[in-house]
Amino acid sequence: MGKSFLNTKTNPDRAYLRAVSAEADAGTSSGNRVIRGGAPNKKKSAKKKKKGKFWYTGLGIDMPFCLMVAALLIVGTVMMFSASYPTAYAETGDSFYHLKKQLIYIGVGAVAMVLLSFVNYRIYYKWAKIILAVSFLLLIVVLILPGSGGVKRWIGFGGFTVQASEVTKLCLIIFFAYWCTKYADKMQYVKYSFLPGMAIFGATAVLLLLEPHFSGIVIVFLLTLIMLFLGGMPKKYFVVIGAVVGGVFIIALSTGLLGYAMERMDGWGQALSCEMGSDMWQTTWQTRNSLYAIGSGGIWGLGLGQSRQKYLYLPEPQNDFVFAIICEELGLIGALVILALFGILIWRGIKISRNAKDSFGRLLGCGIVAQVGLQVVLNILVITDWLPNTGISLPFFSAGGSSLIMLMAEMGIVLSVSRTSNLEKV
Amino acid sequence: MAKGKTQSFKSRSAILLALILVLGFGAAALRIGWLQTFQAEELRKKAVAQQLTDTTLSAKRGSIYDRNMEPLAESATVWRVVLAPVYLKTDEDRRIVAKGLAEILDMDEEKIFEKSQQDSYYVELKRQIETDVRDKILAFCETLQEEHGINGNAVYLLDDYKRYYHKNELASAVIGFTGSDDQGLSGIEYQYDDLLTGTPGRLVTATNSVGTEMPFKYSQNIDAVDGSSLVLTIDSHIQAIVEKYLKEGIEENKVYNRAVGIVMDVNNGEVLAMASVGGFDLNDPFTLPEEIMAEIAKLPEKERGQAESNELSKMWRNKAVSDTYYPGSVFKMFTAAMAVEEGLVTDNSSFYCPGYYVVDGVSMGCHLTSGHGTQNFRESIKNSCNPAFMQIGELVGKEKFYKYYQAFGFSEKTGIDLPGEADDIFFSEDGSMLNVNLATASFGQNFAITPIQMATAVCAIANGGYIVQPHVVSQVLDSDGNIVSTVSTDVKRQAVSSETAAHIANILEENAVSGSGKNGYVAGYRVAGKTGTSEKKVDLNDDGIQDYIASFCGFAPAEDAEVVCLVFFDTPTGAAYYGSQVAAPVFAKIMSEVLPYLEVPTQYTDEEIENLDVTVGSYVGMNVDEAISAAEGEGFTVTVKGEGEKVLAQVPRASMNIPKGGNVVLYLDEASAKEQVEVPDLKGYNVSSVNYLASIAGINVSITGAVNSALSMSSSQSIAPGTMVSPGTVVTVNFTTGGVND
Repeated sequence: MGKSFLNTKTNPDRAYLRAVSAEADAGTSSGNRVIRGGAPNKKKSAKKKKKGKFWYTGLGIDMPFCLMVAALLIVGTVMMFSASYPTAYAETGDSFYHLKKQLIYIGVGAVAMVLLSFVNYRIYYKWAKIILAVSFLLLIVVLILPGSGGVKRWIGFGGFTVQASEVTKLCLIIFFAYWCTKYADKMQYVKYSFLPGMAIFGATAVLLLLEPHFSGIVIVFLLTLIMLFLGGMPKKYFVVIGAVVGGVFIIALSTGLLGYAMERMDGWGQALSCEMGSDMWQTTWQTRNSLYAIGSGGIWGLGLGQSRQKYLYLPEPQNDFVFAIICEELGLIGALVILALFGILIWRGIKISRNAKDSFGRLLGCGIVAQVGLQVVLNILVITDWLPNTGISLPFFSAGGSSLIMLMAEMGIVLSVSRTSNLEKV
Repeated sequence: MAKGKTQSFKSRSAILLALILVLGFGAAALRIGWLQTFQAEELRKKAVAQQLTDTTLSAKRGSIYDRNMEPLAESATVWRVVLAPVYLKTDEDRRIVAKGLAEILDMDEEKIFEKSQQDSYYVELKRQIETDVRDKILAFCETLQEEHGINGNAVYLLDDYKRYYHKNELASAVIGFTGSDDQGLSGIEYQYDDLLTGTPGRLVTATNSVGTEMPFKYSQNIDAVDGSSLVLTIDSHIQAIVEKYLKEGIEENKVYNRAVGIVMDVNNGEVLAMASVGGFDLNDPFTLPEEIMAEIAKLPEKERGQAESNELSKMWRNKAVSDTYYPGSVFKMFTAAMAVEEGLVTDNSSFYCPGYYVVDGVSMGCHLTSGHGTQNFRESIKNSCNPAFMQIGELVGKEKFYKYYQAFGFSEKTGIDLPGEADDIFFSEDGSMLNVNLATASFGQNFAITPIQMATAVCAIANGGYIVQPHVVSQVLDSDGNIVSTVSTDVKRQAVSSETAAHIANILEENAVSGSGKNGYVAGYRVAGKTGTSEKKVDLNDDGIQDYIASFCGFAPAEDAEVVCLVFFDTPTGAAYYGSQVAAPVFAKIMSEVLPYLEVPTQYTDEEIENLDVTVGSYVGMNVDEAISAAEGEGFTVTVKGEGEKVLAQVPRASMNIPKGGNVVLYLDEASAKEQVEVPDLKGYNVSSVNYLASIAGINVSITGAVNSALSMSSSQSIAPGTMVSPGTVVTVNFTTGGVND
């Protein structure tokens, strides 16, 4: 496998693979290194080296990061259940409806996480182009499939649905990590950094626009910027991008292209000021009730399970707006504690990635962790009415199958990266 | 180079971490912190308001009873129909529901369909539906569930209340009415709105709108506390009597701007009746009479709305407390009381009236232009002589006049528990009152007071000088009927001594028997009273003729009075406009029914006993001879009609009152019972002529009003001339003393 990538001697892919294999070998065979994984098997690893080494234990996973993931999953599930049971009861007659589903997803996600933590992330480097192709394929397939309610975002896999953009986000992180590693020396040239980055983002954005899925475009755009920034693209291009974004935004606004999102944007910042009973009142219903919930919590909160807004005032409290119910039940204190948990996770994740043994791993880990941070920040700004209500879920907390499983899979990849990262050295 | 790149990555990833944690998380934390501290209170209030207002449970509004616990206003349980469109998933469902409900509720289908587009659990469709509609809604919900598979909770019912006014128009201006949200808009309903409303209950929406048992961790269910009920001092029977005769008076005298009647207990200030006629149907307060609507329809279109609302507020107006008027001659009793109290006059004081009186060069005439000549104090009142009262006012002086004006309560609102009480309009104390002003004020002109102020002040003359607080509510009951509070008599002050009050009362009684007030006389009761005719400054009906208010205020019995009655006609446009012609007869009619109802003992004069009516016995079923002797034994003359042994029918029927010597007709067979006679015109004759005409016609007359004077003339009859009636039918004829001025 991967032979097609190794057709020229000067191919940087080949050079990278050779280099990382050597590094890995050094890591597993060097006697004076602290080994946290299983006992090294020289023979086996030598064999794997030839085959591209699919399974990999390295230095072992980073336990603090793993514990943070577990902690967030536990808190997230408890809070999601607390927020969801009245709605679940009202709609399905089963208070545990969402909890049961979430536990199944966590189970599937945990399997994916554990498996992927053992998968040698360098494999993705070899498959980066295919992965990108898969991303585009999914985005096209989703457009062909019949959507629901005027939007086409989901692909069904026998009773289980996947949001195509969730996959796209990871695919783009992997591809940009690959690209920036491969052309690390050429990032100062516009045709190796700025142009390909914008081309890939642009193609993805067009497909997302057709779904339509505006918040997906925003996240993909920010992820592209983060990856190019980490990859070493000169800062002057970010200034250019900033100017272009401003221009495009103004054009989109003036031509009414924003359509669907505009309807939601209309209510942006007007949740508390609009007149009762007006159309705007209905449009901003969810945001307003989110603000009511957050405000009702005050500093100390109403207590776990004591939210009132979840009793059918705040629609779908188990999804994007779960943090509003957390604020109501656990107060500012609880909200800050949860933010701190996320902060620690991100800090630890970036620290792991910075110490990864190779450039690809560093970019991959940082990209994934940054994406989590991005989602947390955007989600909170949405539920507090500082950003338009565009549908961005809160990692580990919001109910939902594909996003949670993808998230846990990504955590598995970060853990896999952590196997090459020796934090004690730093 | 590789190292440089690593360095670059390290710094860039550090910048990224800082951006996410400091900028991103920092902004998120600050935003949440702000919302949960500085804005928390505002948001919490809004959240709580939403959680509770969505689910207000109506409290049942309290009832209003008259003094005999007869219900005047009651709320009955009805329902309101609420839609929970959140259960309607498709436009097809919405269409089914909209169509079904539109039919049942008689509403526009499109409107319901539009409302069903919301994502809400509470959309109110219609309030105050009654049992039959409720049953249809319940059946419809079942159909939805069974036939269309739509969640039956999509349409549900909540308790609601509807106000019923049992006596329609009776005391409409006093009782008032409520608006669509059950809030009091006028009268008692407005004044006591807080007490009547009660406290709405609260129910958390989740249980309410879904209607299933939610696993609630907290209970926010508070039952509604029903409103308190009120017991009024109003007696519907007396109220009905007052309204009946005011209506009659309005028709007879073509009164342009309604009439007021107040009956008050002189000792405790309880208002037994307060009427502004014509009133309106409390069950339908927003509908104007047809003739007014016809007038409005003639106006240009853009003026109609304004005209309509003007007419409505005019119709709702409680004239007894909201109107001010020149009291006219009725006020002379107070000028007289001042002079007596100050010892300035005695019964023998003499006043000369040449037909006018000059004050500071201004000559003011008497209603009797030829003049009353020399008269003593008592005669001055009975003559209602303006020059005499200008002289009495002069004796009293401005300062004392103002003092007593205040003492009788004219300078302040009475504080009656009704909304919209008007202020009096009088000269201020600072000396701006000229001698001319004092002169006109002495006979009740050029200053304005309210009818309720007048009635309250007359109470003081009747009860020994005490100003009592007038009121219309006597008790407050809780929703179980227990007495919460009782309004006790509040004596504000004594305006004049009991001797003075008794003295004036005595003169007023004489006035009612032989003076200007004799049309207000009620046989058998010692009535005291005073007429009044006041000019109005504004030509209200725009006919270029001076407008007047005709009033009469009196009380009975003169000594130890029980009730005061004020009658007031605003702008009579018939031939008569004097208080003595227009208001006094109505006062007499009201009192002649109210006093027996109140079981005030009768004190007949010998002359009256002569004329006293006798009650007809029952002769039906008797043998002819027996019946004749029985009827004759009771003092009647007997006419027998038809052939037969036994009495089949009689006219007048048993227990009717007819004068002594009246004619009782006994029918012995069916054929003769159908015989009819024509009622003659009995108006404009003296008593003996009326009796003669009636006997010729074969009918009986019952005589009311002022018959104790040689000048008495019949002025009205209860059955119109030309009507065919059975022989012996009783026609009530009212007598007035024509041409009496005040």
